[in-house]
Amino acid sequence: MLNNVFENLTILDISEDVAGSFCARLFGDYGANVLKIEPVHGAKLRTQAPFFENDTHHEKSFSFFTHNFNKKGITLNLESTIGKNIFKDLASRADLIVESFQPGRMKELGLDLPSLQEINPKLSMTSITPFGQTGPYKNYKSSELINYAMSLIMSISGVQGQQPLKHAGMQAEYEGGLFGAGATSISLFKSGLTGIGEHIDVSITECVASTMMATQSIYPFMGGTQTRRKAEGSNSEQAAQATKDGWVVWQTGGGASWEDIANFFEAPELLEPKFAVREQRIANGAELDEIVESYMKTKGKWELFRKASEARMLFGVAQTATELNECEQLKSRDFYHEIEHPYLGKINVPAELFKYSLTPFQMRYSAPTLGEHNEEIYIENLGFTANQLVKLRQTGVI
Amino acid sequence: MTNPKPLDGLRILDSTYVFALPYAGGHLADLGAEVIKIEGPSRPDVTRTGGYAGVFADNDHGEDWWNRPSTFNLINRGKNSLVINMADPEGRELFKEMVKISDVVMENFTPRVMKGWGLDYPNLKKLNPDIIMVSNTGYGHGDGPYSSYPSQATTAELSHGMANLTGYENGPPSKAGASFVDFLATWTALFALGGALKYRSETGKGQWIDIGMYQTGVMFISEYLLDAQLNGQESERIGNKNPHRAPQNCYQTKGTDQWIAISVDSDEEWQTLCSLINKPAIAKDPKFIHLNDRIKNHNEIDTILSEWTQTQDKYDIMHLLQENGIAAGPVINSRDIHYDKHFVSRNFIEKVEYPSDRNMGTRMFLGRPYKLSNHPLHITKPAPKFGEHNEYYLKTILGLSDEEFDSLYEQGLIADIPGDREPSATFDPLQRLEAKTLADWDPDYKKNLGI
Repeated sequence: MLNNVFENLTILDISEDVAGSFCARLFGDYGANVLKIEPVHGAKLRTQAPFFENDTHHEKSFSFFTHNFNKKGITLNLESTIGKNIFKDLASRADLIVESFQPGRMKELGLDLPSLQEINPKLSMTSITPFGQTGPYKNYKSSELINYAMSLIMSISGVQGQQPLKHAGMQAEYEGGLFGAGATSISLFKSGLTGIGEHIDVSITECVASTMMATQSIYPFMGGTQTRRKAEGSNSEQAAQATKDGWVVWQTGGGASWEDIANFFEAPELLEPKFAVREQRIANGAELDEIVESYMKTKGKWELFRKASEARMLFGVAQTATELNECEQLKSRDFYHEIEHPYLGKINVPAELFKYSLTPFQMRYSAPTLGEHNEEIYIENLGFTANQLVKLRQTGVI
Repeated sequence: MTNPKPLDGLRILDSTYVFALPYAGGHLADLGAEVIKIEGPSRPDVTRTGGYAGVFADNDHGEDWWNRPSTFNLINRGKNSLVINMADPEGRELFKEMVKISDVVMENFTPRVMKGWGLDYPNLKKLNPDIIMVSNTGYGHGDGPYSSYPSQATTAELSHGMANLTGYENGPPSKAGASFVDFLATWTALFALGGALKYRSETGKGQWIDIGMYQTGVMFISEYLLDAQLNGQESERIGNKNPHRAPQNCYQTKGTDQWIAISVDSDEEWQTLCSLINKPAIAKDPKFIHLNDRIKNHNEIDTILSEWTQTQDKYDIMHLLQENGIAAGPVINSRDIHYDKHFVSRNFIEKVEYPSDRNMGTRMFLGRPYKLSNHPLHITKPAPKFGEHNEYYLKTILGLSDEEFDSLYEQGLIADIPGDREPSATFDPLQRLEAKTLADWDPDYKKNLGI
């Protein structure tokens, strides 16, 4: 009997970035046996900040940790002939390979899906790259900012007269990982039924662009191009506003009527006709901002948040990372799971994305240290002797 | 022979509103599922009103405004429409009959609603033992302090920690994009559903998937949470810069509101960039030679680069820099993407032709951000008219007589025209241009798109 949805899947993760690593981890979170295969000197992600104690040691990258727990890890040089053969051996018993090399690289290595399917027809491969496997930009270089710029989102983010603005962090890569996992999950359901795997080509820029449904469709519906919001004022519900102790945002459209909202701000003047509909609230925005801001400046953000919930009003509080680490709501949802890491110590890991009623998330392993499971995989699983392992190390294969 | 689609034969009851799960339903229809959008006679999906950043086809309400908005049509492509009043016990009986013959139920009511109707997972399971249920709420089900709080993505972006990190240097917390966290829930649902379907095919057991958008958003800043937890550090807002690459920023180019993003990864790339912009003296300037110095003097570099980019076309800059190994890309807007040769070559934006009685012509929509080698996918058909498939499901599938069907209509339990809702206003594009709520307007968009 299966205890977890992906328990009978074996996944080889040879990706070196956030997107591929996050994708593979999600399968590990819900039971898959995921093996992280890194180059001898470690995956590129190990060099990515932020680091524990701001030390660039390869076991101290928070990005590497957060996208690689619930995996075991080995090193393997895919450019060596022996390395390729070992990889093929692993692939012959795997269900999925997740990779993020430049398009064409797997074929150069002789490890593209058609070649591997000759030994294992049920094998699938998910490739997650900035621009996908085809098209004129497929080999263009990218970075988080470039991914964001080319996917519509920046054209409407930030304010007019200033630069288009990206989200902080690695949102495009995270999206590539999650969306790629979504497409892969459905494909694996199908290949589980047919016994025939397939190639899943995921484009990170298309992942981000696909969140821009309201923006894209305006053009083929009436010819318009959306823009960024005006710099002045809150533009009715668009910008953060200050309270006594932090930033908040509120909006209409929830369970609260405009009258409820006027009551919330203790401002009967909001019931004047000039604020009656959205267009007027935007037109008279400066006045509206002044009324609500003068009220909110005297209140704390949490007090306002609770009061807004009672009024069924849509309301957000700008939380810091520290506040989120202490959040009782997240704790009630088992978002954090504790684990011990040899270099980072005890960690409250942001871990559980959602809940299955029957087959819950499991925190099974910390992120592997470099080559942590070499002996287990090479000797116990693949049948190498201890002496052979020494030789593989000496010749730079592992 | 074309392969059957991955989800052929799967029936999904999609009782969801707004963006997150409705968009998941649209993607599931692309994948071959029969997706039945359930709405109430006086509770059409809010995206049908043209609010929520939508516009009407040809900027015209037409005779059936509720079938014409852009966002509604994009999200709900490929679905069928069944309109029944779930707030009424008799309407719920119809829903229950549909549950018995479906594989998946999706819903995004606040936690108390489905329970109050006796339609929560334990009850659905009684009707159909291997049913899979997908619930999406702002904060997730359970007994947490915010579980009953109302929530939508645009305010949630502050609460889930994203806005505090996003924004111009020295500026306030900012949102970016539109309804960001909704789409994280969309894809969490697809991932979770694929797993649940696989599990059901192997064990015969369905289950309940409980998604809280809040935590999907928080997950996306995991490294910041660890930095705060283990180092006691909170990050500052740094606009488009990167603490470990320089220069990295967005620069204005030739044209109105046109921009190029450039991201330099090494000292060697900086030397290449200096030669491409023909500034040999700058290349030798010790202020800029090493990464740490460029980070320190970033604003000065921005001025130098802007002077050059302002005289160039954004696409020309991309090609020039990329051909020389430097990451660069234009800020692509909602017009550009329809003509960009890369996205066009991948057929990322798909044409959808409407039947002539819809008076919608041909429109174009975002397809899928992935390709399956064994299953070439495309949008299967347009989004449905309100109540378009009432007769099919109630008479053909559930076997109601003509009299029973007509009686449901008379009682207002089913409908094909939504009550109690008004469309949002159409607008004059020229006025919108003047008011700067549109960046640009192309009156010849149909001719240019070939639709």
